[in-house]
Amino acid sequence: MKSKCVFEKADINVLRSDYSNCNYLSDTIIRIIISMNSICSFKPLDKPVSHLYFFAMLFIKRGNLDQLLESLTGDYRVYVPRSMGDGTGYSLLGKSDTNYEIGEIRSFDPLKSFYFLGREKVAEDFKKDILRDDKPPCIVGAKACDLKGFKILDFVFIDDEFGDPTYMKARENGLIISADCTGVGETCFCTAIGIDPWPESEYDINLSPVNDGFIVTMGSEKGLDLVESNKNLFIEATKAQVKAIKQNRSTIKSGVMKRAQEKRIPVADRLKRVIKKKFESDIWKDASEDCVECGACNTICPTCHCFLLYDQKSDGKLARFRIWDSCMIHDFARVAGGENPRDQLWMRFRNRFDKKFSYFPEVLKEIGCTGCGRCIAACPGKIDIREVLARLEV
Amino acid sequence: MKNPYRSIEAEVNKVTTETPTIKTFLLKPKEELTFKPGQFMEFSVPGVGEAPFTPSSDSEIKETMEITIVKVGKVTDAIHELKPGDTVGLRGPLGKGYPLTKFIGQDVLVIGGGVGLAPVRTLMYGLFHMRKQLSRLVYRGGCRNPEEFLYRKELEGWMKRDDIDMKITVDQGDDSWNGPVGVVTTIMDDIDVNYKRVKAIVCGPPIMMKFATFKLQELGVRDRNIYLSMEKNMSCGFGKCGHCRIGPYYCCKDGPVFTYDMIRDYPGIWD
Repeated sequence: MKSKCVFEKADINVLRSDYSNCNYLSDTIIRIIISMNSICSFKPLDKPVSHLYFFAMLFIKRGNLDQLLESLTGDYRVYVPRSMGDGTGYSLLGKSDTNYEIGEIRSFDPLKSFYFLGREKVAEDFKKDILRDDKPPCIVGAKACDLKGFKILDFVFIDDEFGDPTYMKARENGLIISADCTGVGETCFCTAIGIDPWPESEYDINLSPVNDGFIVTMGSEKGLDLVESNKNLFIEATKAQVKAIKQNRSTIKSGVMKRAQEKRIPVADRLKRVIKKKFESDIWKDASEDCVECGACNTICPTCHCFLLYDQKSDGKLARFRIWDSCMIHDFARVAGGENPRDQLWMRFRNRFDKKFSYFPEVLKEIGCTGCGRCIAACPGKIDIREVLARLEV
Repeated sequence: MKNPYRSIEAEVNKVTTETPTIKTFLLKPKEELTFKPGQFMEFSVPGVGEAPFTPSSDSEIKETMEITIVKVGKVTDAIHELKPGDTVGLRGPLGKGYPLTKFIGQDVLVIGGGVGLAPVRTLMYGLFHMRKQLSRLVYRGGCRNPEEFLYRKELEGWMKRDDIDMKITVDQGDDSWNGPVGVVTTIMDDIDVNYKRVKAIVCGPPIMMKFATFKLQELGVRDRNIYLSMEKNMSCGFGKCGHCRIGPYYCCKDGPVFTYDMIRDYPGIWD
């Protein structure tokens, strides 16, 4: 395989000084390891390999990033976070458009909306294919919690026999430019789920904000290619810059941890046991009292994937749509004969927790929650997932 | 890449009225479409919607399939309006079906109830095809009244066979009925099988499955030998849409046939 390493000469040594325990690895070995791993954002990166990429750190000025993103609009639908109230929300990048913010924390909207649309035509008449010529998505500024969401969605939607064609296509051809968190959100608790507030895998390139630009690391072959073909936009990162981002990471992590500890969330590896133990508890009835069954928690959740197939006639053609569904709504599991295994609201409420903290750990060894806290912010009943989890631990 | 959401076009060849609320549709798919007993299809009326049904015909017949449908809601109302020549959609086969090879050399007890007799018919054809490889074969069926007795002529024909011990009961009899009266569990006490080893298959309305399961346990049948055909709300039919979850399983993808030991600990299985 062709070696695609962009870092030459000095940069490995510069950065290695920060990782003294890895000194035994020669440059050649690092290069071989990287080039032998056929990595793309389609499949999760092994953690150790992504750490190796971390050696190859480059710097990009904000102005150069603007240029890079503009150039990407030719091949991708580039979605950027823009300032919106006290946070950020995503929209398409236009021409000569530099009005975006790599937000401090995750955006308001979950990234699933770009890969698994809220309402999407999935079949037409009896035709074998649906023609879709839109460009793949490029998401800028995705946070670690967002990337964790992909682990769940990939598990659900990618498979040989019944894979979702549009999701798989978007994941395969899409590009993810992730970013470190530089703030601690009111509702953030990723560390309690076992996630660090900076991307470790699942990205093509990652941006760590520093001064007037970003330290760039590459997490996939696609990311390496992108950097290689835009070499002139990057320079070597300095030791001081690397130190600064490491400092930021540790500050943010302790900030999130502190907030999570205040909420007394059970530690990640206890969550499944806690849910199982309290399955028959009265907590569910009590905690769901303020739920109005609006389904906002489902809609806003980066891992909620449930949908409904809906047939209709449109423009004289028969069309099948896949639309987001909500397990909090009364008829979600009701069968045509009338039986409903989750007839009561508290049963549906419990089911949502069971799915995230028991089902996914059992079938995938991953918690189905990313700690992004979007559901807390979105709930009109002020139901706080952290508080419910804490109550279960008692 | 295959589009799992796409239906195959099929033509309605024949409509048989079984009861005032149940009809059987003979369908001819325009592409090859085969299934195994216990697997199901998503049957759609173009532009109206789809719903899951288990075929009721012999799975060895490849060119056509029959599906027996009770009228209970929006999609089934539209299905009941169908006439020969109409175009419908079929998506499948979905689910795992019955593990017939596990039944080789064993006593097999089939319990069907109500419209559950429809999928059981497919299973019975399958079991008759492999009859020589089975030990005893017992069938216990039940329905509300003789009017709702599906495939009555055919089943009365099976009763005359000497390679099956078969009984049908009705909850409420009428003048035409000479057989037993009572729910299906009342005709389960005279079954001559090895209860410790028998493979028991139950298919019917949830309430009937529940009591039949309890009855089987009482008779000494092991939970892992009780095969239940579960009914849950399904949309996609292949484990993605999230509607039919039972604990760590999806009813569509991992079932719809489950052994009782797989699902007994999860809430709401009979609802």
